[in-house]
Amino acid sequence: MVAGLMLGAGSLLNAGVLTAQMGNLNGNSEKPKSYVIYDAEPQIVPAGKRSVVEMRFRVVDGFHVNSHTPKSELLIPTKVDLQPVAGVKAETAEYPAGMAYSFSFSPKNKLDVYAGDFTVKLPVVAKAGQHEIDGTLRYQACDHAACYPPRSLPIQVVFTAK
Amino acid sequence: MIVGISLMLWAGWHNLRQRRIAMQLAEANHVVLTPAQPGSSAQGDDAEAEDPGAKLRGKTAPAFTLATLDGKKVSLADYKGRPVLVNFWATWCAPCKIEMPWFEELRKQYAGQGFEILGLTADADAGNDVIAKTAQKIGVTYPILLATDKIEDAYGGIDYLPMSFYVDRNGKVVEATGGLSSKDEIEANIKKTIASGATTAMKGGE
Repeated sequence: MVAGLMLGAGSLLNAGVLTAQMGNLNGNSEKPKSYVIYDAEPQIVPAGKRSVVEMRFRVVDGFHVNSHTPKSELLIPTKVDLQPVAGVKAETAEYPAGMAYSFSFSPKNKLDVYAGDFTVKLPVVAKAGQHEIDGTLRYQACDHAACYPPRSLPIQVVFTAK
Repeated sequence: MIVGISLMLWAGWHNLRQRRIAMQLAEANHVVLTPAQPGSSAQGDDAEAEDPGAKLRGKTAPAFTLATLDGKKVSLADYKGRPVLVNFWATWCAPCKIEMPWFEELRKQYAGQGFEILGLTADADAGNDVIAKTAQKIGVTYPILLATDKIEDAYGGIDYLPMSFYVDRNGKVVEATGGLSSKDEIEANIKKTIASGATTAMKGGE
């Protein structure tokens, strides 16, 4: 019961935070649309050891984005670009595998996409302390029949090395 | 026993407090985050875009003069008297590349009635080489023009692709569609466009 109530409160809080991210993004641009949300929860990793920081994203329901390795060189891959930061040695980000998707009227034409939640992993070796890595997620979203122009979502990866 | 009851009471109060804080935070976020205008979320945008052609249907198609990949100028007015499909697409648009080969087939099929297609590339910044290579790979031989922001605005903003405007021989937008349609639906719209204005310029195409 107690756990249930606590969980309930937590979910409510999370929902607020998610909406906050969307709302802020919407408020900052003239044509405010975001099809991917970044879950900016701070993380803790061991200091001085190779460890993995996760960048968790959610594609808004009803939409999908190309995976990091779409099946055509003309499609825009989902890609994280991070700025270098003192005290953090970051390796190349690791992307999840996509899932097969085809548009109606053309079931044989398979695309490789992310839908729902997806996590990009960043192997790092970080000095003790709090770190903030600024970057962007570049993606191109589509729904069941149409595609939307490529977008860049600003992100900040926040983690503490202890 | 007393300790147990106290603990339960404390837990209840603690949870209630946590819940209130969470509610307040959510409420605060909600207030801050109310969109300034309708349709500003991805979902809202989707709903708003359900009938993107509503504003142009039945109206005169916005005029344009645009450059082809080899630098020639082409105007919509050049096709006055012919039914034309104005199709916005981009090299990164997967559903566009599904329907473009259908367009090519239908163009040949209805060429006898003067039907033509103009492919307006919405990602002109991709570069002429990439656009030309893409069009060639898809098998498109109809004119490819480099769209400008001004023309996209004139056609309702082109928030997503593909988007098609069926313009009859009198320059009127008979039908407008957003997103991938079936080949049958595209052909039906082409037939409607060819029929519209065939006898009288004032007859509605709906």
